[in-house]
Amino acid sequence: MASKYTCLLTKELAVLLLLALCSANVVHGAGKVLVLVDNINVQDTHSIFLNSLKEKGFELTIKPADDASLSLSKYGEFLYDHLLLLSPSVEEFGGSISVGAITEFIDAGHNILVVGSSDIGDPIRELAGECGVEFDEEKTAVIDHISYDASDEGEHTKILSAPSNLLKSPLIVGETPAEPLLFKGVGMTVDPDNPLLLEVLTASSSSYSYHADVPISEYPHAVGKSTLLITAMQARNNARVVFAGSLDFFSDEYYQSSVQFATSGGAKFPKSGNQQVATALANWVFKERGVLRVGQVKHHLVGETSPPAAYTIGDDVMYSIEIQELVNGKWVAFKGDDVQMEFVRIDPFVRTTLKRKDNKFYVQFKLPDVYGVFTFKVDYERVGYSFLHSRSQMSVRPLQHTQYERFIISAYPYYTSAFSMMVGLFFFSFVFLYHRNESKTKED
Amino acid sequence: MKGQESGFALPSFLPKLSYEKQDTLLKLCILSTAAILSFATRLFSVLRYESVIHEFDPYFNFRTTKFLTQEGFYNFHNWFDDRAWYPLGRIIGGTIYPGLMVTSAVFYHVMHFFHITIDIRNVCVFLAPLFSSFTTIVTYHMTKELKDEGAGLVAAAMIAVVPGYISRSVAGSYDNEGIAIFCMLLTYTLWIKSVKTGSLFWSTLCALAYFYMVSSWGGYVFLINLIPLHVLALMATGRFSHRVYVAFCTVYCLGTILSMQISFVGFQPVQSSEHMAAFGVFGLCQIHAFIDYVRAKLTPAQFAVLFKSAVLLLGGGALLTFGILTAAGKISPWTGRFYSLLDPSYAKNNIPIIASVSEHQPTTWSSFYFDLQILVFMFPVGMYYCFSGLTDANIFIIMYGVTSIYFAGVMVRLMLVLAPVMCILAGIGVSSLLNKYMKNLDVARREKKTSKKTTTDSSYPMKNETATGIVFLVTMFLLSYTFHCTWVTSEAYSSPSIVLSARQQDGSRVIFDDFREAYYWLSQNTPEDAKIMSWWDYGYQITAMANRTILVDNNTWNNTHISRVGQAMSSPEEKAYEIMRELDVDYVLVIFGGLTGYASDDINKFLWMVRIGGSTDRGSHIKENDYYTPTGEFRVDKEGSPVLLNCLMYKMCYYRFGSVYTEQGKPTGYDRVRNTEIGNKEFELEVLEEAYTTEHWLVRIYKVKDLENRGI
Repeated sequence: MASKYTCLLTKELAVLLLLALCSANVVHGAGKVLVLVDNINVQDTHSIFLNSLKEKGFELTIKPADDASLSLSKYGEFLYDHLLLLSPSVEEFGGSISVGAITEFIDAGHNILVVGSSDIGDPIRELAGECGVEFDEEKTAVIDHISYDASDEGEHTKILSAPSNLLKSPLIVGETPAEPLLFKGVGMTVDPDNPLLLEVLTASSSSYSYHADVPISEYPHAVGKSTLLITAMQARNNARVVFAGSLDFFSDEYYQSSVQFATSGGAKFPKSGNQQVATALANWVFKERGVLRVGQVKHHLVGETSPPAAYTIGDDVMYSIEIQELVNGKWVAFKGDDVQMEFVRIDPFVRTTLKRKDNKFYVQFKLPDVYGVFTFKVDYERVGYSFLHSRSQMSVRPLQHTQYERFIISAYPYYTSAFSMMVGLFFFSFVFLYHRNESKTKED
Repeated sequence: MKGQESGFALPSFLPKLSYEKQDTLLKLCILSTAAILSFATRLFSVLRYESVIHEFDPYFNFRTTKFLTQEGFYNFHNWFDDRAWYPLGRIIGGTIYPGLMVTSAVFYHVMHFFHITIDIRNVCVFLAPLFSSFTTIVTYHMTKELKDEGAGLVAAAMIAVVPGYISRSVAGSYDNEGIAIFCMLLTYTLWIKSVKTGSLFWSTLCALAYFYMVSSWGGYVFLINLIPLHVLALMATGRFSHRVYVAFCTVYCLGTILSMQISFVGFQPVQSSEHMAAFGVFGLCQIHAFIDYVRAKLTPAQFAVLFKSAVLLLGGGALLTFGILTAAGKISPWTGRFYSLLDPSYAKNNIPIIASVSEHQPTTWSSFYFDLQILVFMFPVGMYYCFSGLTDANIFIIMYGVTSIYFAGVMVRLMLVLAPVMCILAGIGVSSLLNKYMKNLDVARREKKTSKKTTTDSSYPMKNETATGIVFLVTMFLLSYTFHCTWVTSEAYSSPSIVLSARQQDGSRVIFDDFREAYYWLSQNTPEDAKIMSWWDYGYQITAMANRTILVDNNTWNNTHISRVGQAMSSPEEKAYEIMRELDVDYVLVIFGGLTGYASDDINKFLWMVRIGGSTDRGSHIKENDYYTPTGEFRVDKEGSPVLLNCLMYKMCYYRFGSVYTEQGKPTGYDRVRNTEIGNKEFELEVLEEAYTTEHWLVRIYKVKDLENRGI
């Protein structure tokens, strides 16, 4: 019996493995997402957002954030591809999840969408701090006494942010919506020294972040445009993290409610722009869009196909690189026209824009008259796209002793003088010897 | 000495030989014993440690030799090395003297042709001792030309063990100097021979020997200046003759053309000022010969007028041309190394990279005695005997002696050039002394037997006693010389410096093999193309043993690049990180002696890094004074300057050292080289992480961290 079972098991395993391999080949992305929630009701209040993810093909595992069985990894392998934190108020994660575990998750190249709210707990603030984002304190909210929604209950915390405050990057936030965005939650600021952070959505210039029900006694954490509502970070290993300050931003209610600027005669819109932006943002953060990869990188002498052991100065070299973009789960040729290649030895000696043909970017250029160890370097860093770095190191050697000119035209006078000297000396010695002999005979 | 040797009766069991044959046999025995001795005395390090290459430069020579034997001469000649001086690279074929490598490769291939499968490393290790044996034989011939065979034997025996030469030619010290001294003496011998004979044959041989010399050592410049100087001296003393003319013209023309075939030398013989003396003397030779010819045809009065006007005209013209060419940059201006020869303080004030090398320091008086012992006293004696019987050849050895003693005083490493002439002159001196007094001794003994009356010569009282005393004294001197030389060789010049040893309290030896441990770690644990930054002293060893790319090495050809590394070492971490990123550094290697008491570590060399780092434009913010205490001291304890206590080198050396006990009764972090407790104990490294530290902490390797993944 036992053997039969094991036999079946191995067969099943083999099939599974095969399937896994096939799926890995065909469909990328759309991986497993662990969704952590404060309150299981979120499934209902945020059903549109969660369903849109499911439709995209993500496999959602929804669990309370303090569930004791939580774990991101098992036997050193991560169990999920992405993490969605809809649990702003969590005081301590359950199971083996901690801020440390989550930063490890990021450093391993996985993506996180972190959603906060005015009830923000310490772990979320700590996690943001690890990425250079600082949420305001618990119980604070972004307040705007001018551009708030008409349905606000008097605290002026249900604010509206104009579409013009969105980052101009279709890859991250999609097409800029016509409608303003409805927001209620906590604000944040970013570390200006961190070059990886993107300010996706800022509040309007009349806003500030403070406790809504306490008279202002000190300077607010953030004021005006520096109050951030949504920030994104793409780590150097291309892991993507988005921090949003409002849980309600993603809710069905905010998706569907009509909005109106509360000030007198404010414009009215039938629907907020939240859904459009939230969907685009989720697509970006979970690597459905803006993902590039380097395919084959080739360089060789013009007219050859494989590179030599070392180039010689002044050689004509052909460099080509394949760049692919992930579109709808498939890798297709990238269609940028601003990819540049540098030929670097400490400083770039050649910097040129690559031409595109089919799926290849290529350039043909002449090596500089300088020897050394050079690097073909393609650093393609554009907002919204994953960072693309390609480096191939190659030595450029000086001419070999056989590669110099054998005879130099300007040296012909010297050749002539050398040979005429030799001939002259020959005749002179001939005459000299002959002359002496004759004189001797005469004397005799 | 010929006379005395033939006077001794051989034991009866030997076949009867004529006096000439006995003479030859004895000379052969002495000479071959000296040659074997000179080989054997250089083997201390091999016996004590193992057959390894020593120090720094020899590792590079070893690596290039290996390349030459594997890849052949043309690949070697065109070799562009991308492992060194990243990312500049180095054209090895065009920047080295290939003589040494070619010699070893020839030995290697000849051996293999006869199916003696010797490893190339062993060829390299034993090449210097072998060539010192050859040197012994050449010295014999040279001294024989100068004086007589007896002096030759003494000189040969002396050079076999002289420490000044052994210091550069022990087994494993696989450096240019090892064969260059042989080449130099060979050239001199052939030069003397050609001056004596005036024959084209010997002159051509001399030019060929000169070519070999040029191909093996940069010190050939000394030769190409000394030989013209000799000719000049001959002219000045009125000894100029057709023999000298033929010899010098042949040697100069052939030698110059041949030397230009070495690509590292290139056009220097006709362009640089160091070679101008030879060119000038060559011209002078022609003029002198021409004048001699004219003088023979003209009356003295006519000749005087002609001579004066010609000298004024030509002298003025020559000076003008030289001035114009120097100003136009055609003749390279006096280079730094040359200045430092003439003026010992020049390099120290102007070129830190030259001054930083310990062998470029001026020689102390004690090291003359240490390296030459009684030769220092016998040298003037030999000088005296040379002057007393002045010949063309003797003038040469006098010039050689005087110039080399000056140069040896300027630079420690030139002791090597002085040692042979010391041996030759001392050999002449000792031999002449013995010759003189042995005769007296012999006469006295014989006369004692026959008649006692004649023993007291009124014009020379105490003849026998004086002779006995002097012979005894000289014998004692020679004995002490032998013991001194052996002791110096064993104690001072036979440590390979790649493996260190120290004596423990109970007298036993401890071996520190940390260098090889670290290099082996690098070769096994780092990626193939990893770039390693270290101070340039260790560059050759890292490329040869770890086979990794390095930034700077002992071939200090690019001052700015070395300066950049110096800047990285002497900057605080953030600044250093920028430089290391710019240079693509993956690992940093430092030598630290604080735990074991190894004094020549990077902290003790650190001031040179600061000076060299600050010597270029980009490093002008690095000022030597910032690294001293207000009272002007260099200290690593609490009193030390905060700039020093926070620079990269300090942090790399003393990372985690603050919690280590090194000596009983001392606090933690007690540096045994500087004999202080270090000043900055508790710190963490931000841009580096410790990758490896060897058993005795001699070598510490750090990995340069990548940029922070999440931005900060």
